Amino acid sequence: MKTFNKILCIAGLSTLGFTTVHADLLSDAAKLDVKQACDVKANGIEAVLATAAKYNAEAVKLGVEFKRLGVTNSNYIKTTTEAAKAKQKEVVLKYKKKGKVKTHKMATDYAAWRSCSFAIRALQQQVEAESTWKLAVPGDGFKY
Amino acid sequence: MLLKVVKISALVAISACTLNAGSFDTQAEKDRQALVKYMEAKFSNPEKNKSFFPYSTEDELKRVIKKGVKAADLAKGSYAYDSIGREQYDDINEMPPYEDAIDEGEVLYGKKFANGKTFKECFPKTDIAGDYPYFDNKKKEVVTLTQAINDCLVANGEKKWNIKKGNMAKLEAYFSHQSKEAGKKVAIKIDSKEAAQAYENGKKAYYTQRGYLKLSCATCHVQGTGKRVRKEYMSPLLGHTTHFPVFRLKWGNLGTLERRLEGCNKDEGENPHKGSSKWAKEVLYFMSYMSNGLGIDGPDIRK
Repeated sequence: MKTFNKILCIAGLSTLGFTTVHADLLSDAAKLDVKQACDVKANGIEAVLATAAKYNAEAVKLGVEFKRLGVTNSNYIKTTTEAAKAKQKEVVLKYKKKGKVKTHKMATDYAAWRSCSFAIRALQQQVEAESTWKLAVPGDGFKY
Repeated sequence: MLLKVVKISALVAISACTLNAGSFDTQAEKDRQALVKYMEAKFSNPEKNKSFFPYSTEDELKRVIKKGVKAADLAKGSYAYDSIGREQYDDINEMPPYEDAIDEGEVLYGKKFANGKTFKECFPKTDIAGDYPYFDNKKKEVVTLTQAINDCLVANGEKKWNIKKGNMAKLEAYFSHQSKEAGKKVAIKIDSKEAAQAYENGKKAYYTQRGYLKLSCATCHVQGTGKRVRKEYMSPLLGHTTHFPVFRLKWGNLGTLERRLEGCNKDEGENPHKGSSKWAKEVLYFMSYMSNGLGIDGPDIRK
């Protein structure tokens, strides 16, 4: 019985911990100024990519990760991190379209900015949506 | 005396259950009626109601967008109000490119699995397109027709089909055709608290802005209905699920509703949810409920 209670207690605390981390990251992201947090010149590319990785992981969990022209933000972060480590000035993003591998090229700093802003905005939008989604519902918040 | 008490108790219990069952779809029904009212107001007279079509020219509103469109007409999607698109649609439908798929679907329906059984064991009736998705109160989840077909395959020792196209779309085309021929209408039920919650989840997802473009499904298919994007007029949420699977000219073949939903989700700038995900199934549940009472009109063609 004691073991059972322990397991129940651990499971409860883990759930609580997980929920708190979830909520913390969302509220953290909501407070951020994207332009400042993702400024490569001011923060350095490693820090910007670390911010991107931190918030994008949460966006993936919540199912709100951004994807632009076939490239997921996870792909942006992974490829840009590799390029930054190799001190490459240009990132070559690979993605599949209709079974064929295609590429996008862009400056590494710009790719880092984009991956960071995409990660934070995905979460900010999620928070904003809690109060805005009903504004589009006919018969509810949408007036015409 | 005892018998009387038992009878009265039973009557009270049955009445309570009936009232309860009816109340689970109260909000959904309000939403549906509000959507119908909005769509009918929008298309009552586009020339007069210019505020609904801020980017259309006067000539466009006069010549292209039909007026007096009713909810039932929207089973045809944007071809209910886009008169030029409707002409092209009618031309293509003189020799519909999906006809062979219906026949192939019928063959698939009767084809024996390795165990000697057929789809008839799982789907004794074929005019069922309007009854899906439904909420399975035992599994506590939304079940789409696509999922039910794959469940049937697996239960009979067969491999699952691709949920976007191919055999899946063909069999669904056959079911849809049979439903249309039988004059069936969309008849989605919300008969439990959990089903009502699944509907609410789907509704919230539909109206939530997402992706790097910050678009919601409603941006294009509620507020955006009838607005022009390049040469096309955006289609309405009302009636969206009535005509699937569709032969899209862009695809060059027949595709399922799940395929289209993934495409739309991607177009919003989001890593799309899989068509078989809880998210997608709940969105489809909401969308289908919105089309309740409209005639099944599939399979069909779309650009």
